[in-house]
Amino acid sequence: MITTIAVQQVRGLMRQRVFVVLLVTMLAMTALAGVLGWSSHHTIVGVYDEAVKLLASRGLPAPPNPFLLKPTLSLLSNMVVYIPLIGSLLAVVLGHLSVVDDEANGIGRLIFSRRLTRTQYIVGKMCGAAVVLAFVLAASLLVSWLSLIIVNRSLPAGADLGRLAAFYTLSWLYLMVFALIGMVTVLATRRRSLALLSAMGAWLVITFAVPQITSGLRPTQSLNPIVDPAGTSQAFFRYTSNIRPYSLVEQYKAVSGTILRTAATEPTGDTVRHIAPLVAAVVALVVAVVVLVQRHDYSRGSSNE
Amino acid sequence: MSDSRRRVLALARHEFRAAARSRILLVLLGILVTVTIVSVYVAAVDHRSLVADYAAYRAAAQNQGLDRIAPSPLQPLSLLRGALEYLEIIGAVIAITLGYLTVSRERANRTLTLIRSRPVTGNELATGSLLGAVGVIATLVAVTTLVGVVCVGLVGNDWINAAQSVKLLLASGAAILYMTAFYCVGAIATSNTKVAANGLMIALGIWLLVVLILPQLGDTLDADNQIPGGLFKALTLDRAGETEILKHFSTYENTRITIEEASFAKHFERFAFAMTEVQDKYRGFSLTSLLNEKRNDIGWMIAYSIALIAALRFSFRRQPTIPQETT
Repeated sequence: MITTIAVQQVRGLMRQRVFVVLLVTMLAMTALAGVLGWSSHHTIVGVYDEAVKLLASRGLPAPPNPFLLKPTLSLLSNMVVYIPLIGSLLAVVLGHLSVVDDEANGIGRLIFSRRLTRTQYIVGKMCGAAVVLAFVLAASLLVSWLSLIIVNRSLPAGADLGRLAAFYTLSWLYLMVFALIGMVTVLATRRRSLALLSAMGAWLVITFAVPQITSGLRPTQSLNPIVDPAGTSQAFFRYTSNIRPYSLVEQYKAVSGTILRTAATEPTGDTVRHIAPLVAAVVALVVAVVVLVQRHDYSRGSSNE
Repeated sequence: MSDSRRRVLALARHEFRAAARSRILLVLLGILVTVTIVSVYVAAVDHRSLVADYAAYRAAAQNQGLDRIAPSPLQPLSLLRGALEYLEIIGAVIAITLGYLTVSRERANRTLTLIRSRPVTGNELATGSLLGAVGVIATLVAVTTLVGVVCVGLVGNDWINAAQSVKLLLASGAAILYMTAFYCVGAIATSNTKVAANGLMIALGIWLLVVLILPQLGDTLDADNQIPGGLFKALTLDRAGETEILKHFSTYENTRITIEEASFAKHFERFAFAMTEVQDKYRGFSLTSLLNEKRNDIGWMIAYSIALIAALRFSFRRQPTIPQETT
């Protein structure tokens, strides 16, 4: 029964073109990250060449090529910004539509006349959303792989491919948090718009407010993959830094940096500690969705705008 | 007062009261005020020690009987940078929500038909709603600014003077114009879609593009932002060397600037940052020089706002009075 619901869910999203919008946006975003990576590569090499000439004309020695300091997968560092910014908003919409449409078109009132428990129903819905996100991210992985071949003009090493796969698996986990937030807000509120805006509020808090409180990161600093660390020596941060391990976006970025080697390497134990809050958030939200669906009133009409 | 003006004011009051009753708007305002307080507090704590250092220097200089004491190099207004960034991001979401609620509320309550059964034209409805929304937005910007200024004064120990107040007032005016434009985006998108929630999603998509993606592209493409600490610093180049090298990348720089200029948010950010002396290069400019320097951003902000207000009036005029959908 769970599989039937999940398949119906995926078909429904494809019929509504939500799936296509999600896929096209994610692929465009991945391609854009590749173009920006290529542009960054091209600019650094060009600026370096000009700098060498200029310094030579002043009788100064050439500095080391800064591009040599950039790891192979740094080309994709923009994805670490786009997944929390764009990907998570799309995941919120995916989670929202997965549940809200059955309420709006009346299916929610009919479906439980069949031999189907609410838990089976919602687990099927969550599986459908998980499959859609996994498919979309697998397609993004393919585009990233192609970008690496085009820009580096060589096939990525096996280890790089492994890291790429690990990065997209982590991204899937991160996006599942937001898809589940989209579902929770529909099940916890009475109005469709309130549900969507509450999920947006949660996204704003996780993406911008919490990093500001725990690490002093201003919103625009969250938009650039190259961030100079903010000063956090104040007494304020001595208290708030205790909640930094629970800041989902910061943990996601930290693990992504380790995987893509755009940040300093860290022991495996630390990486696991960074991933743990994401897993805990997914588990907590799955429990919340299952609990909320039991008491959700599907008999309410379809006019809950 | 003419009948038309009375109707417009009645609609504006209705819009203001309805918005003030909205729980979601209050929650978003709560988030905005909280992050504003945190960002200004964090900046002001460091500022306080600098103010104390300057006061100590000033006292020492006076004790030594020096005639010429260097003025304070500190810029308390620049501590509001975080607050302005939050207005740029969260403020725009609040404005879109306000625009969405303007249309969806009347549709869901079936009051649009009732309003239009009275002698109210589409233009009056658009103007009344817009005025009410501007009232809400102005209140919200005033609260955020006041919270920011009080934080700077109490935590940073540095109260802003009259000249700085005028600049802050102009930055706040720009914030009101900016949010009004996003209010129009929310209302236009919602009034042009059968399912109001889809209009909200379209408006949020536009917000994502204009507020986050376009400025991010411009920022990421900046040659100096390519490696931590700055590319030119890593290449041991001074400002003159940077300018010399960038001459070879004029097409690249022009493309980057064009991408940034396509974003309304970037124009607001540039203007507001110049007014609050966030960027070092504008420190010491007179108000006239600043306004002259930022005339391009002012022009774009006014042009975008006029176009969106015109589109709002057009959308409200052709909005069906009988509800077209129920979901």
